[in-house]
Amino acid sequence: MSRFFRKAGDSDSESEESDEELLSSGDEDAAPAKPAAKPAMSRFLRTAGSDSSSESESDSDDDESDMSGDEGVEKKKSRFLQSDSEGEDSDEDVKRVVKSTKDKRVEEIEATGKVMDNALKINDWVAISNEFDKLLRLVQRQSNSAEPIPPFFIRTLVGLESSLNSALSKEKEAKKKMNATNARGLNSMKQKVKKTTKEYEKEIQQFQNDPEAFEREYAALAQPTEAAPVKAKKVKKANLSESEDEGPEDDRFTTVGKGGKAMQFTTDSIFKTLKLVNEARGKKNTDRGEQIRILEKLLEVAVTSYQRIRILLALVSSRFDYNSSVATFMPVDLWLSAQREVDQLISIIASESSYSVQETTEEYDGLIERSPATEKDGIVRVRGSVISFVDRLDDEFTRSLQNIDPHGTEYIDRLKDEKVLYRTISRAQGFYEKTNQPEPLARVVMRRLEHIYSKPDAVVNALESSLASSEIQPSVIITSQSSTSSLIHSLCVHLYKADNSLLRTRAMLSHIYHHALHNDFYTARDMLLMSHLQESIHSADVATQILYNRTVVQLGLCAFRCGLIKEAQSTLQDIFTTQRVKELLAQGVHQQRYQSQLTPEQEKAERARQLPFHMHINTELLEAAFLVSSMLVEIPLLASIDSEEMKRKAISKPFRRLLDFADRQVFTGPPESTRDHIMQASKALQDGEWEKCRDLIQSIKIWSLMPEAAAVKDMLAKRIQEQGLRTYLFTYAPYYSTLSLSLLSRTFSLPLRSVNSMISKMIWSEELSASLDSPTGVVVFHRMDHSRQQQLALVIADKVNTLVEQNEKALDIKLGGTGGWGDRGDAGKGEKRGEQTQERRGRGDRTRGGSGLRGGNRGRGGRFAQGLGNQMSGQSSQRPR
Amino acid sequence: MAEHDLTKTIIPYLDRHLAFPLLAHLVDTAYFPGEQVQAAQYELAKGTNMVDYAVSLFEQLHPGEEIPEEFTGKREKAVSTNERLQQEAQAVLDVIENPDVAQALRQDKNQNLQYLKDNYNLTLEQITALYNFGQFQYTYGNYSGAADYLYHFRVLSTDNDLNTSAHWGKLASDILTGKWDTALEELNTLRDIVDSRSPSSLLTASAEPAALTQLHSRTWLVHWSLFVYFNHPQGRTLLLETFMSPTYLNTIQTSCPWILRYLTSAAILSRKSTGGASSRVRHSIREIVKVIQTEEYQYQDPITSFLKELYIEFDFEAAQRELTLAEGVVGDDFFLGEFKEEFLDNARYLISEAYCRIHQKIDIRDLSARLNLSADEGEKWIVNLIRETRMGAEAKIDLEKNVIEIHRSPVPVYQSVIEKTRGLAFRTQGMGAGMLQPQGAAPQQAQPAVVEAAR
Repeated sequence: MSRFFRKAGDSDSESEESDEELLSSGDEDAAPAKPAAKPAMSRFLRTAGSDSSSESESDSDDDESDMSGDEGVEKKKSRFLQSDSEGEDSDEDVKRVVKSTKDKRVEEIEATGKVMDNALKINDWVAISNEFDKLLRLVQRQSNSAEPIPPFFIRTLVGLESSLNSALSKEKEAKKKMNATNARGLNSMKQKVKKTTKEYEKEIQQFQNDPEAFEREYAALAQPTEAAPVKAKKVKKANLSESEDEGPEDDRFTTVGKGGKAMQFTTDSIFKTLKLVNEARGKKNTDRGEQIRILEKLLEVAVTSYQRIRILLALVSSRFDYNSSVATFMPVDLWLSAQREVDQLISIIASESSYSVQETTEEYDGLIERSPATEKDGIVRVRGSVISFVDRLDDEFTRSLQNIDPHGTEYIDRLKDEKVLYRTISRAQGFYEKTNQPEPLARVVMRRLEHIYSKPDAVVNALESSLASSEIQPSVIITSQSSTSSLIHSLCVHLYKADNSLLRTRAMLSHIYHHALHNDFYTARDMLLMSHLQESIHSADVATQILYNRTVVQLGLCAFRCGLIKEAQSTLQDIFTTQRVKELLAQGVHQQRYQSQLTPEQEKAERARQLPFHMHINTELLEAAFLVSSMLVEIPLLASIDSEEMKRKAISKPFRRLLDFADRQVFTGPPESTRDHIMQASKALQDGEWEKCRDLIQSIKIWSLMPEAAAVKDMLAKRIQEQGLRTYLFTYAPYYSTLSLSLLSRTFSLPLRSVNSMISKMIWSEELSASLDSPTGVVVFHRMDHSRQQQLALVIADKVNTLVEQNEKALDIKLGGTGGWGDRGDAGKGEKRGEQTQERRGRGDRTRGGSGLRGGNRGRGGRFAQGLGNQMSGQSSQRPR
Repeated sequence: MAEHDLTKTIIPYLDRHLAFPLLAHLVDTAYFPGEQVQAAQYELAKGTNMVDYAVSLFEQLHPGEEIPEEFTGKREKAVSTNERLQQEAQAVLDVIENPDVAQALRQDKNQNLQYLKDNYNLTLEQITALYNFGQFQYTYGNYSGAADYLYHFRVLSTDNDLNTSAHWGKLASDILTGKWDTALEELNTLRDIVDSRSPSSLLTASAEPAALTQLHSRTWLVHWSLFVYFNHPQGRTLLLETFMSPTYLNTIQTSCPWILRYLTSAAILSRKSTGGASSRVRHSIREIVKVIQTEEYQYQDPITSFLKELYIEFDFEAAQRELTLAEGVVGDDFFLGEFKEEFLDNARYLISEAYCRIHQKIDIRDLSARLNLSADEGEKWIVNLIRETRMGAEAKIDLEKNVIEIHRSPVPVYQSVIEKTRGLAFRTQGMGAGMLQPQGAAPQQAQPAVVEAAR
């Protein structure tokens, strides 16, 4: 930077002006604009330097803004330069290691003085002004690093003052000699010198009294500091052997090293460096890695808890800053060290109750060491937020899992880190429990819950096992006698009491998910129904909707595992009707099927929402479960209805579509995919070949992913037998007048009793017009042949019915649809109508498809939720809580 | 059989005094050792002011032991409190029993209060003395007195909470004195109070606790009402009416699924009472079977399993087995005990009805076995059955082969058409009426279509 400045200064005098322009504008909002203005300035300067000729415009700034602007320049520039030259120094240092920074600086000061002398001779005040600024900065840095002010500077200052006075008096006489810029340079010089003299008044006086004594004093002061770095180097070498070979680095840390040795400087220099780092944070060309290293070093020399807390806070933040782009993730080693540091931070503040980290504190001076003794109420409050670190740590972990290829070993290695992360989270929980902070506690409990709710017991136990050894323990952990469920239960109960309704909702869903995972279908279902979530979920945020979808899907799988085929079918139906299962579960991105245009932002947001692979619910397994349960529900139904009219009403549209497609195929090869298996099984079931159907279904490979696969297969075989019998009866009843029960029982290898009970059920519910003849043990079918006329009469009766219904609906819409007049208590009808309209809406949605854009997910998710609500309440009435 | 005993489950939802009859009944059934039950009775009595009763129980429990000191003190205290409260209450009572006052009292409670205050210097605090005395009487077992005082208090008082409490107290007193008619009235008013409470309290408190309190009150009400419903002559039908209403069904499903036993029993018992009953009662069995099925994972006992086997599994053998079990359970149940025969009768009827509907030819011996009857009894039973019901036209007994033959002709087409089009005209009329209100326009095409179809 200094090099650059020199260039600008040398090339012409215009840069000064540009500075002024910029600053006078930046002056209006002085403080907040500071960081923003800086990069802009440098850019501006660069261009200004290149076309140096056009300088004619002499705008007449009024003096006042000039003055204040200059002050600003001084401060801002100096800070800017300081922080930056650190970085640059390090680059140059690689080549010339010999000189110490201090020597270099002194040299630089002298060189600047020389340039100023030269400029003075040709009366170029602009150049002088520039050089003087530089000088000031150098000197300020000198004093920042607690070194005495070189006498050379004072001498220059005094000399400058006198020559300035003479120049001013000269100019009064010959005003026309100077051009405008030069005059302004002179003017600003006058101000600056005046100010600086004031600052260094004491030194100047000393110098003027006895220049030689002053110089001697300086020499005496400088001597020990020369020796210090050598010793400090040694000390540090002992401390860290790995950074030994990095000579320049050591060099740069002389100040710190010195602090470590000379105690009276310790606090000062640590906080100053910290301040510098904090100021450089977030700037455009700060080297983030460098900053982290600085902070690491600082941490090593920090002695008091206060220092350590401050440095850790800064260090963890800068680690998180290291990777600024949204798309990629934090490097693993950085993450691990951040995790360790968060741990360290938590243990410090947990063990020392007189320190507390809070998001809002009173203003305090960052440069002063504080301890419980100096504070009013004995508690040192530091600004920072542990919970946000924990949150960020967790988020970064998830993001890294999203980005790593899930099929590689890297992913598994990464997954192992979950253990330490989980420990950190639990420690944070323990800490917040101890300090009794409900709000962050709820957040951290939620984090913990999210790590365990979807995992099988073994994994949770593994995660929990690491907790027992840590010194800060949360109130609930798994011990030998308690189970995962009780852990989840207590976490959830804690969250139910929290004020945050979002957390409550998520806790509820996680709890339900957990129950479903453990095959506790009834509890899970009751909780879902009693929470009334399906009514409000469409207004929740996307992440919660995804969780809801996951929960519902898991509930469906749970029902399937428990052998509750109907429930499984109706639960899974809604999500499969949308045909966007993966997207709704956040396990895959939206496919460009509908030619919908996603903006890059939307796509990015969607990618960020994806679940890491190990959390996925296997969609193929899900589909298999859904299609098989659809088959078991749909095939007997298909067989029971005979008229074309009825056939159009399908329970499971996706299944029906697949079946129609399979029907149309001329040749069918041996089944390959899961779908093929199920389709062929369905056809076998339709034909009454239940054994073939069973074999096909059982040979689906994906079942192996299901827990208790063998039991599920047995259950399926039994269901297939039963439904096979029903299908057979429906299909072939017209061709028999009697059928022997024992024959049926043999054909379907079912015990006679269950055949009996199934047929009885069918007769009772009037699905089958037949009756049993107990002495002979046969079913007697009653033929019901309708004449053509009778059939037509029935059809017309149906049609009239629909006509009236449609009229009612039309009237409803016309009258505002509130149903004020039409509340006729025939709830059954109303419900059916509701379903129809919903179906229709669903179809409309699909045809419109693409126009649904991104909102489609949300909208459909919402409808999905509502639809499910209806289905579920059909099974069991909703209850008041 | 003890595992099907519900006493322990129910007692937490009852008042201390209401639990005494239950425990007394337990002594009779001998499910549990007599001593244990007595000990429980003693524990129960200790918490009341029925000192003499507690002492006698103590003597039974620990014959020959010294009666604890506390009882004498407690007795004295109870007597003195009684006197004090009685005096306080008497003052109010004197005024109220004055015929002038009785005439002057009106509907408006506030006005009454003002009147009493102006003319007889009666304040609200004094009236509360009635409540206190009533409550105290209740604690030492003078239920009819308690009922009286609470009644008077309720007439005068304007305090809502105390009034509700007085309602509960009065209900308990009526139950314990066996005045079923008044108890039923009391029950109904209490039910109204509980049901109507939600909107008013919604405004004041937040919704969640209010709903919870309501659920609690309903649960209590459900349990208390069992006393009334199984003793009042009309009780079973009323029980069905109440419990089958959605709110109470939800309450039962949510907080006390064991009440399903009584619901089921009531449904079976009131099978024949078709006349005048609402559709809810008539279709109660079908509804209850659904509920039993959904709640199976929470609660089942022989009575519910009987219905389940009969109407879900259609396993007549299992149903018959369950019925045998249920017979014992019903006989020993505190509430159902008296209805054992009636229950069995009706259950048999249900079995045979289902059996006949499914079968075409039935061996009489077979059916008799299903019903736990001998062949002769069975025949008599079946004849009665055929005579009683509308099956008469379809079923015939063939004594030669010892079978019943049932010929059910399929539903004629015209009947199903009528069934389908029934009500269309009414609905269309409703539409017309609805249309006339805001607009004049009408979808005319509906009218002729309906007429055509109805013909």
